[in-house]
Amino acid sequence: MSPRSLATLELGVAARVARVAGVDALRLRLLEMGFVPGTQVRVIKRAPFGDPLELEVRGGHVSLRAAEAARIEVEG
Amino acid sequence: MSGEALTIALAGNPNVGKTSLFNELTGARHKVGNYAGVTVEILEGEVRGELAGGRRLRVIDLPGTYSLTPIAEDEAVALRGLVGRERPPPDVVVLVVDAANLARNLYLALQVIELGRPLVIALNMIDVAAAAGIAIDPAALAAALGVPVIPTVARSGEGSAALTQAAVEIGEGAPAPVALEELRARLRASPEGPGGEALAGLEAALGDPLRARALVGARAADTVALVAADQREAQAADGVAPEAAIEAAAALAIARYAEVDRLLAALGHADGARSGAPAMDRSARIDRILTHRVWGLAIFIGVMAILFTSIFAWAEPLMGLIEGGIAWLSDQVGALLGPGIFTDLLREGVIAGVGNVLVFIPQIALLFLFVGLLEDSGYMARAAFLIDRLMARVGLHGKAFVPLLSGYACAIPAILGTRTISSFRDRLVTILMIPYMSCSARLPIYVLLIAALMPSDERVGPFTVGGLVLLGMYLLSTASAIVVGAIYKRTILRSPTPPLVLELPPYRLPRLRNTLLAVTDRTMDFVREAGTVILAMTVILWALLSFPRPPEAPAEAGAKVEVVAGAEDAPIVHSIGGRVGVAMEPLLRPMGQEWRVGIAILGSFAAREVMVSTLGLVYGIEGADDDDRPLREAMREAREPDGSRRYTPLRGLALMVFYVYACLCMSTVAVVRRETRSWRWPIFMFVSMTTIAYVAATLTFQVGRLLGFE
Repeated sequence: MSPRSLATLELGVAARVARVAGVDALRLRLLEMGFVPGTQVRVIKRAPFGDPLELEVRGGHVSLRAAEAARIEVEG
Repeated sequence: MSGEALTIALAGNPNVGKTSLFNELTGARHKVGNYAGVTVEILEGEVRGELAGGRRLRVIDLPGTYSLTPIAEDEAVALRGLVGRERPPPDVVVLVVDAANLARNLYLALQVIELGRPLVIALNMIDVAAAAGIAIDPAALAAALGVPVIPTVARSGEGSAALTQAAVEIGEGAPAPVALEELRARLRASPEGPGGEALAGLEAALGDPLRARALVGARAADTVALVAADQREAQAADGVAPEAAIEAAAALAIARYAEVDRLLAALGHADGARSGAPAMDRSARIDRILTHRVWGLAIFIGVMAILFTSIFAWAEPLMGLIEGGIAWLSDQVGALLGPGIFTDLLREGVIAGVGNVLVFIPQIALLFLFVGLLEDSGYMARAAFLIDRLMARVGLHGKAFVPLLSGYACAIPAILGTRTISSFRDRLVTILMIPYMSCSARLPIYVLLIAALMPSDERVGPFTVGGLVLLGMYLLSTASAIVVGAIYKRTILRSPTPPLVLELPPYRLPRLRNTLLAVTDRTMDFVREAGTVILAMTVILWALLSFPRPPEAPAEAGAKVEVVAGAEDAPIVHSIGGRVGVAMEPLLRPMGQEWRVGIAILGSFAAREVMVSTLGLVYGIEGADDDDRPLREAMREAREPDGSRRYTPLRGLALMVFYVYACLCMSTVAVVRRETRSWRWPIFMFVSMTTIAYVAATLTFQVGRLLGFE
């Protein structure tokens, strides 16, 4: 299965980070929050206005906007 | 060695109980400090009680961060505190780690280990971890890392004595075990690929591998200034292409997490890359309601309504009490000293000035109490999660919502409340937006002008004209704040919408003690830092509106000086402020105002609502702030020499528009100076707001007249 954006992942489905795209501080921020390749992530919830997302990563919950989550490519 | 203090730096992720531990260790006696160039605070205190050898223990509480890569101010401050840029480095670092979330907390631990500072780990919240079914063996973790690991429960104080003891031993120079040296060597190995080459180049240029890592991170995030780089370092960092710096920092982050997963696997844990989030089970159940698309929003609105009511209404009786106390003190001083200039200076300058400072305390304390409890409980992160979509449209973070909402009550606590916003530019945008929010001090002005000048019997549908005008002022102020924010965000404070990247921490019962300590810090800081400026401005303003005094008519018979021919001869008209108000009249004409209003505008720089009492004084009416009915009457009756009404609905409307925009509040100016640590932004704010006010009021009056209104 080819990589797809984390922002399009269905609720509750587990996937693995393939890579974090982009060349800016946000990429670093996401990597440091634990979205490194191979890490399991799930989308827990979408906020009432559809954005941001609540994600499960490395034993905790982190909220990212869809535009930010789209930087994270996942597979499987 | 005795007598010389041993320094402990406390580091850790946010929401791991670091502040609880700090308060536990120091008995909550501390002072608040800052580093040059940043607004992030660090707390300093001393460990209570006598230590072995009589040595004192100084504890520095660094900001809670997920990493030491200086992407934002708080990380830069934590890094500077650990490596010792402007003062000696700490003798020992105590890293507070959430036992229930090692998969991310160990990342920061590895960064601290990489730095090579003596380290003790406080494995906090072991009770929570155990309850979530995550068994952590401190001894195994200690063996894997080569660092002492002390289990603690900061809430109850469990483990803090053992922690202090371990910190003193390590701080006094216990040799590092082999496991730690091996780990450190692995962590310091250069990454491969293009990033590794860039890093190696910087290392060669600086001759300091650790500093090179800090600078490559700073270069990647464009924050070289934040890490206190000297000129040579800054030049070397500039020599690295930003893309290469990002690759290097990214490679380091990936390598550290690989090490985290290796450690977790060695400890027999499902490694962080595979596990779910058992510690979040209970919070996820609570969130089914609290971030639900219907119930979540309803509760959010309810919580915000309570927060707003507390500073808008509940603070009122407390403020009344303070005002009453100040009035009583003023009367006592008056009775004791008898009439005279010195008595007036004391009563209307100094004591009134102290009152002008103290009167803000209830609002500040209540706002920080609520915000602190909401933060500690974990709800504030959910509030930001719920509202971020709307805030992102203006280009702001969800965390800007509470300060902006508070601005409807009072700009002072609201501006202090922006401290939760981590990016300085975004914080500044929020600070500059807040004074446009129609605060409660504008209400007496709207009420006076509407009651005095708007037709009370005319209705538009079910609404009175006055009610609609009042609603219009609030809508105008809200729309203006949003427009101004959006403009600043795209021009002078241009920066991308800050990434959300917000942890939703597990819900916890807030600790009232921690919150009350933070409330005291904030309040005292306001009194000390902004209070002095407010006091000085009150005295100056009093002098300007009191001197020179009118000549005493009976003594100088027939020599009665009239500042304005044919005008009421109130003492205030003779003062410098009064004369300036009179002289300003040509400027005020285009916006439909005359000199009496000019004096009232000058007086209202003390605080907007003072406009009412100052205008009263011009008409010889005392106490218009308590009962504005005589003043309303005077304004309705007032006629110009040609017989026309001095104040008309259109002129009143123009004046209200002026007050929507004008920065007539010295306390706001003082607080913005304190929060931005310069006069540049408060002066910019004052000049821009007053200019906009003048233009908007003039447009209102002139366009209204063209349309045939009066």
